[in-house]
Amino acid sequence: MVSNVGSPDRVARIAGLEMPRSALTGYLISLALTVLVTLAGLAIFARGNITNIGLLYLLPVLVAATRYGMRTGIVTGLACSLAYNFFFIPPTHTFTIDNPQNIITVLVLLGVAVVGSQLASKVREQALLAQASAAQNSALADFARQLTGVSTADALAQALCAEISRLLSVNAVLLRPGEDGLSVRSAAPPAPVLEMLDIAAARWCFDMGQAAGRGSDALTASEWQFYPIGGASGVLAVIGLSRSDAREPVSPAQLPLLVRLIDQAGLAMARIALTEDMAALAQARERDRLRQALLSSVSHDLRTPLTTILGTLNDMRAQGPEQEVQLAEARAEAERLHRFVDNLLDMARIESGALHQKVEPIDLSEAVASALQDMKRPLAGRQVDVAIASDLPLALVDPQLFHHCLINLIDNAAKHGGSAGGIEVVARQADGAIVLSVADRGPGIPPGEALRIFNTFIRLEGSDRTGGSGLGLAIVKGFAEAMGLSVSAENREDGPGAVFAIRFGPEKMKEVPTA
Amino acid sequence: MTVPVCVLVVDDEPAIRRLLRASLDRSGYRVVEAGTARETTSALHIDKPDLVLLDLGLPDRDGLELIPLIKSAGAATIVVSARDATEQKVAALDLGADDYVSKPFDSEEVLARIRVALRHRLAGEAESPLVQCGPVEIDLAARMVRRGGVEVHLTPREYGFLAELAKSPGRVVTHAQLLRAIWGPGHETDVEYLRVAARSIRRKLEDDPGRPILFRNEPGVGYRLLPG
Repeated sequence: MVSNVGSPDRVARIAGLEMPRSALTGYLISLALTVLVTLAGLAIFARGNITNIGLLYLLPVLVAATRYGMRTGIVTGLACSLAYNFFFIPPTHTFTIDNPQNIITVLVLLGVAVVGSQLASKVREQALLAQASAAQNSALADFARQLTGVSTADALAQALCAEISRLLSVNAVLLRPGEDGLSVRSAAPPAPVLEMLDIAAARWCFDMGQAAGRGSDALTASEWQFYPIGGASGVLAVIGLSRSDAREPVSPAQLPLLVRLIDQAGLAMARIALTEDMAALAQARERDRLRQALLSSVSHDLRTPLTTILGTLNDMRAQGPEQEVQLAEARAEAERLHRFVDNLLDMARIESGALHQKVEPIDLSEAVASALQDMKRPLAGRQVDVAIASDLPLALVDPQLFHHCLINLIDNAAKHGGSAGGIEVVARQADGAIVLSVADRGPGIPPGEALRIFNTFIRLEGSDRTGGSGLGLAIVKGFAEAMGLSVSAENREDGPGAVFAIRFGPEKMKEVPTA
Repeated sequence: MTVPVCVLVVDDEPAIRRLLRASLDRSGYRVVEAGTARETTSALHIDKPDLVLLDLGLPDRDGLELIPLIKSAGAATIVVSARDATEQKVAALDLGADDYVSKPFDSEEVLARIRVALRHRLAGEAESPLVQCGPVEIDLAARMVRRGGVEVHLTPREYGFLAELAKSPGRVVTHAQLLRAIWGPGHETDVEYLRVAARSIRRKLEDDPGRPILFRNEPGVGYRLLPG
């Protein structure tokens, strides 16, 4: 930890602590102490010759060494030696030393100065480190506290930029992906200048999840240094740092603090992203519910008057042949409106994703029989051939949706299959799949329209006379695809006519169990 | 002349009630109307209807909750619901409703369903032991099926399937009801058993299994015998 943080001076600067010391006051105070001790010594000396008076000088030397560092200590030691020599060592009032024993005293004073100052500086270093790390921890704790109150990604970006800019005295900028790609979301101070190169470095950092820009391994030409912010789920944003005086943005000593700030921000950002996802999900659910409610209410509101109109028209008895024709027309139009409303509501259900399926094994021959029975009236007088292999596997689909697929396919064949052309419904197993097809004897599909024919509101040339909203085939496709089936359209090989097919893959089939 | 059969029409739309009343009047039924669940419960006590035409979308209560009440009052129930509400239909039938018609309905179809439901209800337990379906004859008393006068061998489950439908000809029997009656409780969702049985019955009894005349499947709901 100590080696990580670096020299105490730097730590002190990071933490905003300056040592309470000025070289000049140190020297002045030490000198004053030396003078004081000398005066005291002289007072004692006047009462009798005391040889150990030199010990008194340990006091200023220790004070200077411990409080003001080695240099002051040594200078004080030298001053003390000189004073001791001058005032107390015979011959007094000269700087000469007669007795070699007194040389030892001078050396001891210097030694004490050196050792004392070193011990003291170590202690001071430790204290400063502790203070710095406490300052760092409190900065991180402050930041963490700030983050708990942040509930949007933008507020978090703001807080992170401000904090990093303040703690490290750098320019900070945060880039986050949005609809317009990776772009600046926040900066401290505001309105940073990012060149193309800087943006490229930021993007590289975001994509690779590694530091980029100045002082890193990649795109070092950028003035900015970029670090990824993210959690386990990947990089969520990128923070960039630079200095206005063009110095290296982050010193090695600042790096650990920066790393921890970024880690904290990453956790908070992941939390916010999760919360936002949850909110979006809840919103989507609510939207789905509203849509469902709206659909069923619209469905009710449209069907109720239709039921009344259709029922009333069916109950009415014509008086005279002219009214007979009018009534028949009114009935036909009401029926058409009814089918149109049904189709429109089905389409709305498909497009709003409001199809709720209940998958069940069904027998295709039964399904086709039921659909043909329901279509008895539109099919009146038309020849329908059904050829469904009796040993087909069951199909796994939503029976109701599939029923409407069949009805729409049969309806389409009845409308566009020529005035009296026959319809063929065939289901067989081929290449591990079941293909159910409805073929007519109409004009067929114009070249190149086979894909387009399933689109919403497409009615092909020359087929308008027989009416229809153009929704029927789109509903077939929508329902079929919602159930995991695929649809296709092509022309018959044996003469004019179209073939519409629904394909059931192996996962949509269930072999018939033995009874 | 006996007392006319009483039909209670429950729908919150007066126009629909008027429409149903017109065709029911013409067919000789006595008609009572209700627009809410509250009116329905009081009409059940006061008018003692024989059959209720029940719209499930009532303003004051879910129509499904009324079905057991109607049943305990001794009336038959025909549910009138939206075309795409399959789950609602199945729930209504499993709760004891006799049949359903989808909106927009055809008055003739409603009258036909009413006749079937009333026939079943009036016959009660003493249902006709002999049900005719084209060339097929189902003899519930002798537990056998004849086609063109000749006995056709069916497995017990195949016979059970056909007999359940024949007990109420023309009425829909839900998949769950059939499965519970034939395979027993716990098999209510094994629809493929029914598909297999139906396929095998058709092979034995139908001229053209692709164009069944004996019984039909109501997609997602159940089976219905086509009498005649």
